[in-house]
Amino acid sequence: MKTLVILSHPSIGESGSQQFLIQSVNDHNHVTLHHLEREYPDGIIDLKKEQNLLLQHDRIIFQFPFYWYSSPPLLKHWQDEVLTEHFAYGYRGDKLHGKEFGLVLIIGVGEKEYESGGQEGFSISELTKPFQAVAKKTGMTYLKPFSIFQFAYKTEEEKMELLIAYQQYLSLKEADSLKAKEEWMLKQLEELSYDTIPVDEAPFIIDEAISMLEDNRLELDELRLHIDHYAD
Amino acid sequence: MESVEWLVEQLDKLVKESRDYKQKALLLSTKKLIQEQEKRKEQLSGELDGRLWSPGSWRE
Repeated sequence: MKTLVILSHPSIGESGSQQFLIQSVNDHNHVTLHHLEREYPDGIIDLKKEQNLLLQHDRIIFQFPFYWYSSPPLLKHWQDEVLTEHFAYGYRGDKLHGKEFGLVLIIGVGEKEYESGGQEGFSISELTKPFQAVAKKTGMTYLKPFSIFQFAYKTEEEKMELLIAYQQYLSLKEADSLKAKEEWMLKQLEELSYDTIPVDEAPFIIDEAISMLEDNRLELDELRLHIDHYAD
Repeated sequence: MESVEWLVEQLDKLVKESRDYKQKALLLSTKKLIQEQEKRKEQLSGELDGRLWSPGSWRE
């Protein structure tokens, strides 16, 4: 699966969260990072190039700071220019059918404010309705958004967990499934480079971790099987 | 259970010693994933126990 991250941020160099996410992407993840403001500083979008990029990928992600409950202006302009009739919708406009569409939102306010009764008063699901409508109209499957609230206040451990969750959001078929996460993790552990860990027994520990992940999966599947048996 | 604790400790050690940030993140998430599996195992065992003790299944 190939993922296209369409990134929009007017001053990306100053954004700690965006820099963190850019650095998080692994080269071997089949991910293309596409920063609109860098590509089109004059705002003139190459329609053919953008549509070709879309055609070459299976999962399309919009990544942007959630300014005033919407995307930065260039990303809106990109939608107006690129998602044209006969390509994205309308007669023979089925080029995006079957692809997946997701959002990576960087949000400065705390998560609890985006609830009814919170300071913002509306949920992310409500405020992202236009993007959900784009997915519907273009025949793409809308993924649950990956929302990052108050990045600057996160602890180092939270940031590390965010890094892995973000990699998985870009590359996992079912980002919410524990089993899919296990398979992803096993693959990463098998490819681990030991040059950067100055611990003699590191390969042994990793082998043990792999065994435990696999054994636990067998046990979990077996438990599920028993439960299903009694549910009949 | 003892081996889980041992492995968690060892993974913590690797997180501390690794010189690569992304690798640290991966090792930390491996630990968290194992802990999540352990939690799920406990939940499913509890659910299975509950079903075995359900009066509905005593009739046979």
